[in-house]
Amino acid sequence: MSNPEPAPPTPGSLLSDPAVRVWDLPLRLTHWSFALLVPALWWSAENSEWALHKRFGVALFGLLVFRILWGFLGTRTARFSSFVKGPATIWGYLTGKVAHTIGHNPVGALSVLGLLTVMLVQVGAGLFAGDPYDGATGPLNPLVGVATADTLTQWHEWFYWVVLGFVALHLSAIAFYGIFKQNDLVSAMLSGTKTVKGEVEENDRVMWLRFVLCSGVAVGLALWIANGAPPLS
Amino acid sequence: MAYKQVSLGAAVAAFTFSLAACGGEAATEGASGAAATGPEPAVIEERQANFKAIGKSFKAIRTQLEGGSPDTAAIASAATDMNAYAMLLDDHFPEGTSVDEGYDTEALAAIWEKPDDFTDAKARLVEASAQMITLAEGGDVAAIGDQVGAVGGSCKNCHDNFRLDTD
Repeated sequence: MSNPEPAPPTPGSLLSDPAVRVWDLPLRLTHWSFALLVPALWWSAENSEWALHKRFGVALFGLLVFRILWGFLGTRTARFSSFVKGPATIWGYLTGKVAHTIGHNPVGALSVLGLLTVMLVQVGAGLFAGDPYDGATGPLNPLVGVATADTLTQWHEWFYWVVLGFVALHLSAIAFYGIFKQNDLVSAMLSGTKTVKGEVEENDRVMWLRFVLCSGVAVGLALWIANGAPPLS
Repeated sequence: MAYKQVSLGAAVAAFTFSLAACGGEAATEGASGAAATGPEPAVIEERQANFKAIGKSFKAIRTQLEGGSPDTAAIASAATDMNAYAMLLDDHFPEGTSVDEGYDTEALAAIWEKPDDFTDAKARLVEASAQMITLAEGGDVAAIGDQVGAVGGSCKNCHDNFRLDTD
């Protein structure tokens, strides 16, 4: 994972590849891990594979922590400050008055926030879910009372439909951009690059020290939670 | 670009599989192991609903004990429910309704292979819940708290021996 990306074209050079950097590698790995883990979590719950379900859930938790930290310390297109916009800009984008080049557009930003929030709520409830006398429990189940755990378990069950709704909206939007706007979002999320007409400021490079910091905190926090959040002193 | 897509896909897949592999616990064989031999007998859903009701009454008891001043009358009432549900279990396990028949159930074949042990396991819950009623009516909170261990132990005993382990 040292530097798998080939050298990007130098802006303005002759014979340069028109593709520009859009999404950094950690962001893409996180994204596609979400795409695999959400169905895997559903499958493991449907099939009562609770050991797997818990492991996937902790992994999802760690990835969410990473993505949030990366939203402050990652490359430009990963940072919340670069894409989360106010209502005026969102409206301007919807009505075609605000141009958009690379990265999350102002409406897509809402989708990012929405998906991260619902996944976080779902994982958060799952950490406390279950009943120790009846099968699997989330790693933080002993920290709450029986009634609270029971309520959170019920939440965890129905809230899956909310997660599914957000995923469906996300996929519909991707299909919409692909079909009606000839904008292939999937390829860019796979390759990390995009062919853009005209001059654009491409995304900056990953600062790997920041990646180490964010992933270290995320893994540490996930492992601590997986062990029931024991006292640190 | 194709090369990068493949390598990214491989990296994500490797990450996911390493997650799946790092736990060490072998995944249990689920109900999908065998094809169902016929339409699912209604008793399977009935007994699952009954176990859910048992769980609910036990949760009600434990919730009372977590508060500062447990309502022993509420505990007695929940224990009475639990005891009644526990006695229904005798009619809930006709032959041919195990997970081995391919149904969506966690009932192991051991239920019918060791009928005496299963009878004892059921009796343990009936007795433990009956004792809980008596203690709750007596109002001794400490004794009720100890009895939670006995009731929970009877749950666990049966789950350990007769229920498919999916944990």
